[in-house]
Amino acid sequence: MTRLLNEILATDALTVVFQPVVEMIGEQLQLHMLECLTRGPSDTNAGRADVMFEYVRRKRVEPVVDRACILVGLHAAAQLPGNPHFSFNTHASTLGRDPDFPAALVAMADDVGIDPSRITIEIIEHSHGWDGVTFDRALRSLRSFGARIALDDVGLGHSNYQMMIDTHPQYLKIDRYFVHGAHADLDRRAVLDSIAQLGLKLGARVVAEGVEETRDLMPLTDAGIDLAQGYLFAKPLTAPELIASGWLQPIPAAPIEAKARPFAACPA
Amino acid sequence: MRLAFPAFARKKGRSSLRPNTNLMENGVAHILIVDDEETILFAMGQYIMAQGCTVDTARELEEAQALLSNIRYHLVVADLRLSGIHGSEGLDLVAMVRECCPSTRVIVLTAYGSAEVQQEALHRGADAVLHKSMPLAEVAETAIKLLGCAA
Repeated sequence: MTRLLNEILATDALTVVFQPVVEMIGEQLQLHMLECLTRGPSDTNAGRADVMFEYVRRKRVEPVVDRACILVGLHAAAQLPGNPHFSFNTHASTLGRDPDFPAALVAMADDVGIDPSRITIEIIEHSHGWDGVTFDRALRSLRSFGARIALDDVGLGHSNYQMMIDTHPQYLKIDRYFVHGAHADLDRRAVLDSIAQLGLKLGARVVAEGVEETRDLMPLTDAGIDLAQGYLFAKPLTAPELIASGWLQPIPAAPIEAKARPFAACPA
Repeated sequence: MRLAFPAFARKKGRSSLRPNTNLMENGVAHILIVDDEETILFAMGQYIMAQGCTVDTARELEEAQALLSNIRYHLVVADLRLSGIHGSEGLDLVAMVRECCPSTRVIVLTAYGSAEVQQEALHRGADAVLHKSMPLAEVAETAIKLLGCAA
């Protein structure tokens, strides 16, 4: 029985939202890239992203669903003005089990006119058990097309030191667990500092996920982390919402100035 | 978040076995129903919701597992057979519930009431094994009894 899977993969069943990753330059905020997120059909259990991807992993159909999500994501992304950079979540097991994935990604991107150099593959993983050789080859192939690699949920589960070495990421995305409440928590600040240092030494830029409060910005700037994502800046937005938000306009656009205010309130 | 138990406070003078229609006064029980037959999901879902509970439904083992690993339920009502292939996915579900949320109650429904299957389900930690031909009202009674003593 794979009824839910069929519903997820049905034409037009997946919806796409984009969450801005912002770069904090002094008191200015600038769009760095858009994380492309996919939701299943809202009238099914797959309407909750966490339930949908847990289901997909249990069914061991990550390669099929990752491709479907990227396909609809790329089509939605192609409608946005201003040539922004996009990131797409991909299971490590997809890269390790689907040798055709990199070529398929590039073909899909080509179809909608997005250059692979505007794409970052965000590696998510919850289990081991893929083919290391295929995985390495996929990463090399993605890089050769100009795509970048990000390691998602750093600090949790399988996003560990081993993955940092195996994937040579250009981005380390720190899980919200370490970000939320960091202003009042020395342990969390210690973890943020150490990941920032690792980023410097590995040559990866560090992104703080789940930034919800102005006061949690200070530990980030203290650690030298200048990329952030979270409800403080923008929730995941549909393409029309994103266009209306002003994030896609080149700086110094008025809406970006307005959004800079919470950051400005925070001493440098 | 969701309200904690005891959700099923009983009114004085009322039989403890009768479905309590005033659950919303005290809290909401969150229930997962797992069956591969749409009609059963619908009928049982409607019936249980009418008792004042909130209901999620799943038609496959993996769908139920994905829900269970993200949401805490007070009660799971699972059909023993979900695919017709190896035919006892309900037992896997019982084991998973016992492991991930020990306070969740589990009712297994089966159309094949063999004593071995019943024993196996209870052994794995099901709180009750009921025959599928049982009227919904009786399933609900068992559910309410179990939820009452989950407090």
